[in-house]
Amino acid sequence: MASVKLTNVKKIYGKDTVAVQDFNLDIADKEFIVFVGPSGCGKSTTLRMIAGLEDISAGTVEIDGVVVNDLQPRDRNIAMVFQNYALYPHLSVFENMAFSLRLKNVPNDIVYQKVTEAAEILGITEYLTRKPRALSGGQRQRVAIGRAMVRDSKVFLMDEPLSNLDAKLRNQMRAEIILLRQKIDTTFIYVTHDQTEAMTLGDHIVIMKDGFIQQVGTPTEVFDMPLNLFVAEFIGAPKMNTFKTQLVCEGGKYYVTPYGTKIEVTGKKAEQLAANGVKSGEIILGVRPEHFVLAHEGEEGAIPCKIVVNEMMGSELHLHVVEDNGDKLIVRIPTVKLDDETRNSLVYGKTIYVTFESKVMHFFDTETERNLLV
Amino acid sequence: MKKQNDNQIRKTGLGARASRRLSNTIVYIILIAITIIWLFPFVGIVLESFKTETKMQTPYLFPKEFGFDHYVRLFKETDFLKWFINTGIMGVATALLQTIFILSMSYVLSRLRFKGRKGLMNFMLILGMFPGFLTMILIYKVFSDFGLTEGMAPLGLIIVYFASSGMGYYVSKGFFDTIPKSLDEAARVDGATRFQVFYKVIMPLSKPIVIYTILMGFMAPWGDFMMASYLIHENSAGMNVAVGMYEWLSRTNLNTYYTMFCAAGVIVAIPVVTVFLLLQKYYVEGVTGGAVKG
Amino acid sequence: MKRLSDLEYLKLNKFQAFIYNFKLFLCAIPLFFKNIGLAIVSFFKNAVLGIGGEFAEIGRTFKNGNWAVKLSFLIFGFGNLYYGQILRGILFLLFEIVFIGYMVVPSGGIYWLSKGNWFKTGSTIGTVQGKFEYDMIYDTDVWVPGDDSVKVLLYGLLTIIFIVAFVYTWRLQVKQCTICMDITAKGKKVRSGKDDMKSLLDDQFHKTLLALPLAGILAFTVLPIIYMVLIAFTSYDAAHDGYSNLFSWVGLEHFNELFDFSAGGLGATFGEILSWTLMWAFFATFTNYFLGMFVAIMINKKGIKIKKFWRTVLVMTIAIPQFVSLLYVSKLFTTSGLIGRALDQIPFIYEWRTANSFVSLWDSPVVSKILLIVINIWIGIPYIMLMATGILMNIPQDLYESSKIDGASSVQQFTKITLPYMLFVTGPYLLTSFVGNLNNFNVIYLLSGGNPIKGTAGGASVGYTDLLITWLFKMTLGSTESKYYMASLIGIMVFLVVAVLSLIIYNIIPSTKNEEDYK
Repeated sequence: MASVKLTNVKKIYGKDTVAVQDFNLDIADKEFIVFVGPSGCGKSTTLRMIAGLEDISAGTVEIDGVVVNDLQPRDRNIAMVFQNYALYPHLSVFENMAFSLRLKNVPNDIVYQKVTEAAEILGITEYLTRKPRALSGGQRQRVAIGRAMVRDSKVFLMDEPLSNLDAKLRNQMRAEIILLRQKIDTTFIYVTHDQTEAMTLGDHIVIMKDGFIQQVGTPTEVFDMPLNLFVAEFIGAPKMNTFKTQLVCEGGKYYVTPYGTKIEVTGKKAEQLAANGVKSGEIILGVRPEHFVLAHEGEEGAIPCKIVVNEMMGSELHLHVVEDNGDKLIVRIPTVKLDDETRNSLVYGKTIYVTFESKVMHFFDTETERNLLV
Repeated sequence: MKKQNDNQIRKTGLGARASRRLSNTIVYIILIAITIIWLFPFVGIVLESFKTETKMQTPYLFPKEFGFDHYVRLFKETDFLKWFINTGIMGVATALLQTIFILSMSYVLSRLRFKGRKGLMNFMLILGMFPGFLTMILIYKVFSDFGLTEGMAPLGLIIVYFASSGMGYYVSKGFFDTIPKSLDEAARVDGATRFQVFYKVIMPLSKPIVIYTILMGFMAPWGDFMMASYLIHENSAGMNVAVGMYEWLSRTNLNTYYTMFCAAGVIVAIPVVTVFLLLQKYYVEGVTGGAVKG
Repeated sequence: MKRLSDLEYLKLNKFQAFIYNFKLFLCAIPLFFKNIGLAIVSFFKNAVLGIGGEFAEIGRTFKNGNWAVKLSFLIFGFGNLYYGQILRGILFLLFEIVFIGYMVVPSGGIYWLSKGNWFKTGSTIGTVQGKFEYDMIYDTDVWVPGDDSVKVLLYGLLTIIFIVAFVYTWRLQVKQCTICMDITAKGKKVRSGKDDMKSLLDDQFHKTLLALPLAGILAFTVLPIIYMVLIAFTSYDAAHDGYSNLFSWVGLEHFNELFDFSAGGLGATFGEILSWTLMWAFFATFTNYFLGMFVAIMINKKGIKIKKFWRTVLVMTIAIPQFVSLLYVSKLFTTSGLIGRALDQIPFIYEWRTANSFVSLWDSPVVSKILLIVINIWIGIPYIMLMATGILMNIPQDLYESSKIDGASSVQQFTKITLPYMLFVTGPYLLTSFVGNLNNFNVIYLLSGGNPIKGTAGGASVGYTDLLITWLFKMTLGSTESKYYMASLIGIMVFLVVAVLSLIIYNIIPSTKNEEDYK
């Protein structure tokens, strides 16, 4: 149980390949924090620097107020779960979990007690005498977590622990990690490239790109108020639709004009735009697929577009549509909102009309790609 | 649909099964021929070693009279036993020492990162381009001052075989490279020092390559002629089997020692072949692994 | 020359593509040598800059250092001792004492260095020539030993290495001293001797593991090789063995001798041996490679039974010590040997042999060369077979299945799937195997012994099938006419050949460039 503090942490490979740039972050005690970003964004490197597996090129990492830059991994009192589990193939599940305790010459009865306790929580008691190769992927993952659990360490690091599992198992393990987290009350740092994992697991999410932190916030914050275009498109699936359009400011009122329509910006969003002194001009407008609603021809703000793909997901429909000028959009409609006749009519080539409300709009600067509401 | 395609599906040449049978037959014939060619010298040497009628080369393969005469003479009249023991000792000693050197070197180069690692590898690569025998001229001079040549050559040879063996790290490094790095990292996070990682995690996983390295070390002195003959310098007390038996087949000795050579060859082959065939699996792993990753 | 874009390249037909690639290859050659030149230049530039930087650094250290640092410029390890690193300090100090002691004692470092006449062409190595002198007690001439050039050169070399180590250590301990100063200035503790010992099993573990193997390599490879390279510039041979006759520095004289292509010079012989060596390496490598692969494919063919038996038969050749099988096989082909005699029954071979008055097949240069290559196939196929088997099993089976559906015949499967994969994976192996064959002493020496004899050159008899390495070996054997300097020169030549070939091949084979292609 400890806080972790990173100050101006930098990682440079070779002469000038920068993996992590000026990373500043305070992780509170017992917090579950998730680093998320596309591959190569530096999230794993940052985690490995906290673990002591990579040298820190500049800056400091503190665990519990102690600078650990020069400490070996074993002196940092951390536990880590690896992407490919990293179980010792020659040791039984029991010995795998007991490995760290054995290194510390812990008496056997305590080892036994701790390992069986952890195995109980993870439901792998019956496999304790097996070798890792006789286990399934999910079981191996549990052993890897168990190995970290018996450590009673200050910080629990997880490096894409679920990415080697199939989709179904991944969902199941995700839920289990949430449960686990309630049982072992410690600081978690979790790395993933999957935004769903990030959203469901994290107290706070750190979104990274090209070695820079893009945004730090709670799942709700990053979803509702993405700081920039990258975060907006990265969080949420299918990803947010973005298109260039004109923002018009007339007589104290703001309008957006996507594809020849004119929709007024109302409520808080308009107030915020005014407060930020945003002027007329080209912007990037973002609308999440689920925020589109079907409209009728001629209705105000209705954008006509043609269906190219209709993905029936069961509870919802994902319609890939093309606007007249070639822009591709994705529209997500809950199936319960459609009657059978409408649903059957949504086929390739059909023209439909969609619109959206003011409160779901996101505005981004065309050049800086920053959110104009912030 | 069915009708239209009929004229497009045609049999070309033989049917699939018939052609497979034909090609398998050809392969069998070739393989049998290979077996005969490959085994001929071995069968020949064994058969000739049992000939008692003459000591000379004979134009027939099967002995007219079977007997162990040459085997008996081998131990009675020549220093063969001494050479055999010499070589055996060298084999065991080289196997042990060389394995330690090679494994240390390859483990370091594969798993640990330190300043000068790349440079060290390049340096050894360049060093390896010099013919190793060249070093023997100086080594002979120095060793003869220390009394490590001629009669004591086996000791000198052991040193020569293992001292620079670290340069032959390629195959085992290739093996270590296949062990996931995350195992090391997991162990280090679990609290292991590098040394503990080495003997608690990596070594238990490296049985095949350890055995391969031992096997290579053991076999080397049995086959070495060049280094050995240079250090031994015609002193029978210090000879290994290769140098000792080489003289038997010179033009002057051929007619006295030919069959004895065959008998000695059989005796030399027995321990080496036994060890080799027992550990064949590991050898194959080494050869294939080393070539693919080397 | 104009480079085509990828799409333009795809438009070319096979022939045009070949021409294009060939042109690219030709254009790349000057660039290749230019790059090598640049690499060498930049290496020296960096070295010079590095040394310059080092001196500047040392100056700065001296200027900024406190008195402890300054004193450690003279007294090794003083800084370490001052800052409490007792263990390191004592070791450094001990090193300095030993070094100075070694240098100044009679017959120590300075003594040996002074005797070397280093690189003075025409001067002897060692200054006192041993000679016979009349001894009154024994009433006869007795040998009064003088210097031994071999030792003078060796100890001189060791002393130079020792001096280099001394300078390095001096620099190291000064550096450490400043580091200690910085650490203490920051208010932190320096590493204690106990920490140092501990770290030898942890973050400095590589030093522990490397110590012995590297020491072995330094003593038994690096030192002898430097020594032997020096020998190429001396007159060390059987007549000038250093003890009874001092040998001397001769500069580049032997290089001229080796490349003397006039009658009686070594140039022609060297050229012939070199070209046979290259030819041998080429044939030995590639016959083995393709035939071995072929055998592996046959054994692994679907429907072939008792695979393990076929494999074991071949593996026997690896297991049996080479000198047994090679010597035995070589005797099989003599006129009194089984095969030699059987061949003699064929009238045409018999007539050819007697007409040339060859006693055995090994007396014909051409035939022995062919025999060598053929017998080497017998020796070499099993290795390749084993390796190829391993690799063949790694080729994903679905590649074959999908190619079958695409309409490939088994020959096409081989040329389009198996061969490219094999070549890719075994590229580095081919290189090592080629180099190994260049220096394949055993096969040549045990089979033909380099014979039939062509003449003598470089103080040794030379045969038609001698490789550079067996020639080198023979040069060192004769008790009266050994020319060690020539052996050393040949060794250097072998090195050059291997280095150039490796450099070229390494730049050609795809495995080094597109490492991930087949993963």
